[in-house]
Amino acid sequence: MKKKKMLLSTETMDVDFVRKVEALSGTSVRRCFQCGKCSAGCPMATFMEHPPNRVVRLLQLGQWQRILAGRSIWYCASCETCSTRCPNKVHLASIMDALRKLSWDAEGPSKESYVQLANRLFLQNIRTYGRQYEMRLAAVFNVKSGQFLKDLMLGPKLISKGKLKMFHQKNKNMTEIEKIFGRIEEMRKNGEAL
Amino acid sequence: MTPKKALNYAYYPGCSLHASAGEYDLSTRELFKKLDIGLTEVPDWFCCGATPAHNVDELLSLSLCAKNLELAEQVEGDLAVACAACFSRLKTAQHVLAESDIKRRQVEKAIDAPVPLTSNVKHLLDILARDLGLEQLEQAVTKPLAGLKVACYYGCLLTRPTDVPNLDCVEAPTIMEDILKAAGAETVAWSHRMECCGANFTLSRPGVVIQLSHAILDSAKEAGADCIMVACPLCHGNLDIRQKEIEGVYNTEYAMPVFYITQLVGLATGLGADKLGLDALIVNPMPLLKEKGLV
Repeated sequence: MKKKKMLLSTETMDVDFVRKVEALSGTSVRRCFQCGKCSAGCPMATFMEHPPNRVVRLLQLGQWQRILAGRSIWYCASCETCSTRCPNKVHLASIMDALRKLSWDAEGPSKESYVQLANRLFLQNIRTYGRQYEMRLAAVFNVKSGQFLKDLMLGPKLISKGKLKMFHQKNKNMTEIEKIFGRIEEMRKNGEAL
Repeated sequence: MTPKKALNYAYYPGCSLHASAGEYDLSTRELFKKLDIGLTEVPDWFCCGATPAHNVDELLSLSLCAKNLELAEQVEGDLAVACAACFSRLKTAQHVLAESDIKRRQVEKAIDAPVPLTSNVKHLLDILARDLGLEQLEQAVTKPLAGLKVACYYGCLLTRPTDVPNLDCVEAPTIMEDILKAAGAETVAWSHRMECCGANFTLSRPGVVIQLSHAILDSAKEAGADCIMVACPLCHGNLDIRQKEIEGVYNTEYAMPVFYITQLVGLATGLGADKLGLDALIVNPMPLLKEKGLV
């Protein structure tokens, strides 16, 4: 970021993307006046290459590729501190949601794959079981991320405390949840929803 | 004194309470029984989608929450929610769907039913402090938690975001302290009571959780707290289950028990350790409770 020059031209400034983010998030990107309060209170800012206020600034300049290519949006904890403290009512947490959605749909070039993998498995579990099945979530995550030994020491302790259930909780009415997923896919295919 | 009115709720435990946070579920049911508050579990509820759903797919997140609100209609009474994340999601969904006709129409199509927008979603804290009332709660206390210094940890989602009508003041809430004081405990003033613990990064990026939770544990210790109290299964997991690991990384020792609110209030109302699931806590709370003469 520091050494790379940012070229601003009508070609690099994509305002349509900003409009899309505004439509998805229901908040104004252009209203931000860069006071930096969001970044000051952000617990995750130290883990990001672009702190929250810079994400908004890059958006304002139409430089969204830079945001989606990085891991900042995936390192947002959704704690909503930024939205709470913004003096100009920019709902930054919703902007982050919108950016992740757009990156997700584009199968984005993001460097952050672990958070995306965790999200994907979480949603798959809902579709398959209706509820979260923590044991499976952790096990499959470790296998798919290649970190077979991650949190190995925690497992036996949690099982002995009854905190990891060997059998999953499953809803009775699974057709209902499948229908919801199906209808949403259908609506997206027909262009009825973003 | 006003005559006691019967309190009955539809209960949404959320996924964690049926798995890694079983003691939160157990202590909630036992405490509410003791306080004569009825809880009926919402039949066949679904996962609310938590953070992963709204992170990448708002429509799915809203639809899952709306489906749960619809299921809750089968049970009489307001909806009681134990998990801070579920609470925040359900509340936010209601708010967003009331504000946006377009989103509501999409969600209604997705769940093929109208969305109940006016049903009351309440966190357990709200029920204890306001519906039951601090006065009533104080009267139910038979074993005050005298001498126990508690750091009340709100985390992120109990009070945020601001635009959704929520539990308490967004920057300086007192509801947890109020309840604990009614239970006879002392509460400490500390800096990190509303800082994020790293939440669901515990799966994907545990290093983040270790760094953030370390700051929280440190702050509580510095303020002279004997223990931390939470009202969210994720905060609990990060502060309790990962505490040993954090101690290892930072070469320090906290031995700081992390209780659920229902466990501490339950103790004050005379419920035994077995009914509160105290043995399921990873950091053993027994030495502390024995020292204070509470068990």
